[in-house]
Amino acid sequence: MPSAIPAAGPVSKNFVDEVGRTVRVPQPVQRVVSLAPSLTETIYALGLQDHLVGDTDYCDYPPDAQKKTKVGGAINPSLEQIVALRPDLVLVTKSLNRLETVHALDGLGIPSYATDPHTVEEIVSSTERLAGVLGVPDAGATLGADLERHLADLRQRLSGLPPRHVLFVVWSDPLISAGKNTFIADALRLAGANSIVDSSQDWPQMSLEEVVRLQPEFLVFAESRSDSGQSQFDLLAERPGWRGLDAVRNRRFAVISDAVNRPAPRIVSAIEVLARQLHPEAFSAQPEGGTEKKTPPSAQSQHSKSLKDSSGRDSKLLEACACAP
Amino acid sequence: MSSYARSPASSGLRPIGGSGDFNSDVRLSVEQVSYAYSANPTQAPLFTLEATSFQARPGEIVAILGPNACGKSTLLKLIAGALEPLSGRVLLNGFVTHTLPHRTRGQRIAMVQQESPLLFPSRAWEFVLQGRHPYGRTLRFETEEDLLIARNALAQVGAEHLSDRWMDQISGGEKQRVILARALAQQPLLLLLDEPTLHLDIGAQVDLLDTLRRLASANRYTVVVVTHELNLAGQYADQVALFQKGKCLRVGPPASVFQRELLEQVFQTPLTVEHGSSGRPRVNMPAAK
Amino acid sequence: MRPLTLSRLLLHCAILSAILFVVVVIALKLGAVPVSLYGLGRDLLRVLFSQTSQLSSEYQLIIFDIRLPRILLGIFVGASLSVAGASFQALLRNPLADPYVLGVSSGAAVGAIIALIVEPHLSLAPAVAALLTPVGAFLGAALTVTAVYFLGLRQGQIDSGTLLLAGIISASFLSAIIMFFMSTLTGGNYRGMAFWMMGELSTPPQRIVSLILRFGFFLAAGAIYTTASDLNLLLAGEQEAMHLGVDVRRVRLVVYIAASLLTGLAVSVSGAIGYVGLLVPHVMRLLFGSDHRILLPTAAFGGAIALVIADTLARTVVSPAELPVGAMTAIAGAPLFLYLMRRRLA
Repeated sequence: MPSAIPAAGPVSKNFVDEVGRTVRVPQPVQRVVSLAPSLTETIYALGLQDHLVGDTDYCDYPPDAQKKTKVGGAINPSLEQIVALRPDLVLVTKSLNRLETVHALDGLGIPSYATDPHTVEEIVSSTERLAGVLGVPDAGATLGADLERHLADLRQRLSGLPPRHVLFVVWSDPLISAGKNTFIADALRLAGANSIVDSSQDWPQMSLEEVVRLQPEFLVFAESRSDSGQSQFDLLAERPGWRGLDAVRNRRFAVISDAVNRPAPRIVSAIEVLARQLHPEAFSAQPEGGTEKKTPPSAQSQHSKSLKDSSGRDSKLLEACACAP
Repeated sequence: MSSYARSPASSGLRPIGGSGDFNSDVRLSVEQVSYAYSANPTQAPLFTLEATSFQARPGEIVAILGPNACGKSTLLKLIAGALEPLSGRVLLNGFVTHTLPHRTRGQRIAMVQQESPLLFPSRAWEFVLQGRHPYGRTLRFETEEDLLIARNALAQVGAEHLSDRWMDQISGGEKQRVILARALAQQPLLLLLDEPTLHLDIGAQVDLLDTLRRLASANRYTVVVVTHELNLAGQYADQVALFQKGKCLRVGPPASVFQRELLEQVFQTPLTVEHGSSGRPRVNMPAAK
Repeated sequence: MRPLTLSRLLLHCAILSAILFVVVVIALKLGAVPVSLYGLGRDLLRVLFSQTSQLSSEYQLIIFDIRLPRILLGIFVGASLSVAGASFQALLRNPLADPYVLGVSSGAAVGAIIALIVEPHLSLAPAVAALLTPVGAFLGAALTVTAVYFLGLRQGQIDSGTLLLAGIISASFLSAIIMFFMSTLTGGNYRGMAFWMMGELSTPPQRIVSLILRFGFFLAAGAIYTTASDLNLLLAGEQEAMHLGVDVRRVRLVVYIAASLLTGLAVSVSGAIGYVGLLVPHVMRLLFGSDHRILLPTAAFGGAIALVIADTLARTVVSPAELPVGAMTAIAGAPLFLYLMRRRLA
């Protein structure tokens, strides 16, 4: 992977970023600061981690990212710290970072490039575009092709299977899910699921009544370090009113890693993990034959349980699907 | 003592009725002043003051006398220029009080009334210094002369010993004296007092009126006191204006105003009136049944 | 008798400006990037003598383009909020009044949200786009101030009680609108709004905005200061003030407009930083008395000092992350106020 090359003269190239701004990027790009965990992951996936000089407190994947110099939060990074790192380019994303931060960087003469993917396809193309901006278009193309292959494989396996109706639970009290225009909703679709949420808000608050009326087949949780999917489900199941859901009474829930929350290449593996839980029949060695609407409850809880006790297995799954170093 | 004569010509204002062609003996002239007040523009006026006239000279004490809610305080505010009369006018040395610039009005007319509670209490001397405000320019700090006048004012009311005390820590009577001192510090021509004896015991009441009497003649103030205390008015006032329900029934020296039938009608209670050798009347309640 | 004299006023102001200077130097020294005092002094002199080419460029960027503007912003916002707070306390005759009690900050927030909504749909040059939020906020504040003024009139004059009510109701109404916006709008950086509303100095404003803030401060604070003696009397009672020669109507109008201007400018630039406008005037009253001729200037200094200290703490305590500066002012200010109050009462 490219190591540090002494900076050439003041050459720069203009790029148009994903919110339509024209950004003047010095070439080659030696020092990058990332202000979003998804962008940090993408940089690692493209093999440019040696050029990453700073990231946010929340950039925790891959583990090596935690060792980078921190510049604060995504919403309130320390401008001083960013400047002290002398970046050639700062990467931001519209959904997480603030407009004020971008304006401030403009004022300081530091170029910032914004991504704004709304679907999984856009995540892939955004990654490829970013690779181009950062000077490694080939790595971007390779990575993009890998992801496309993976997605095509999933599409093929799931073709013909009716999608499961699911509710993706972002937060349980108040009940917040992901809107239909988010990349999360798109990821669900690619995993053979249909979110029952039909709102165009990004993080709509759902009424429990409405959810009970729609009776999703599965609840989907994103697992984080502090909060396992099992515990999230248990907490929810105890609350009054939730027993009205079949999915709660029959303990039908799926857990995926919180990679699904980040518009980064790793989301593709999370999609597969979800697809495996929702449509296990598509991944067995047997040929696709009878399509079953429901898998036997025992098999389902076995799936959820197995995923719960082996978070190690979870990450192994992810690593197997992870992008090329 | 303090210089009280403020010649109108020196402040650039011209008196009504030509230059100096008025009865120089009369300082305050209330001419057919009336007022009406309604809380709601669509309602009929709740209260009216009917056309009232009287005059007062330097050194005189005028008592505006009557039962509660008969328009006394309103008349005082009209005299002070704080309200605009519905008809008629109030002249102070030939100038309409209502149209005087704020500063000038503060230099000529001082009001003593029940104080609103102080938000951030101050010391007595600070309080009295407020009386010098009409003489200050913007952003001016008090001069030695101001301090001297304030000290004198406190001395004149016998409150010098209260100078460093906090206003919220002195008694009602003491506070009244400090308020009066502030009014004196304004070096006014006209001193107006609204029910000054309301919360005072009889000793303090006599004290106050004696002081007013003394100051009025020494400093040539014109003093107008609103009160419902019959005997204080009778003892100390040079003129009494008797009011009932917004109407001035009689104006004149106490002896001529304190007629038994008139007083009984106004105060709605049996009374007797003695006319003593001093010429000052004395009102008595009948013995309890 | 110890009345306020010009020399006493100047002495207190000199002491406070010395304290402010020390605070500024310390604030310049502290931060995510360490700076030595010697180096700082040397570079400041270089800047003064325009020998800027000798400074390393990141260093220059950090100190002069980030830290120093931030400190200056803190000075002017802190001073504006304290003077406005003291003025509203006098105008409304209420010691609990703060600069936001008449709804200025809520109006500014609505203006800022609308600017955020509108911005993506206009293709503006970056320099202009950065102005959209402060301009929107200021317009929102100005409209609110005007509306509250008319709502607060009683028989054609500003009435303290009616004004306070009108302000509180407007603030509540506008807050509800903000909540509605924030929960129903899609896309965009609305989480950034929550941060904005807590108030923060971390975004360096555009140069022209800073200039307007400073100019506006001197203009408005100066106008209020001309009514300082009148305010002393106004606090003793409106009737009494009028009889003592105060043009109550004019004073009220001047103070209302000027204090609203101070608040509007401060909030447009830095969001609604709390507690400074409420606590600093009280602390200064305990130290220097209620005479507005000394209260107003010392409140300005006190607000500047307090906010710079609070902001420095906010950006260094959990560096490189930042705490909301409004929380810091409360944490530091409230105990100080309690201490001073007990000493006065003891």
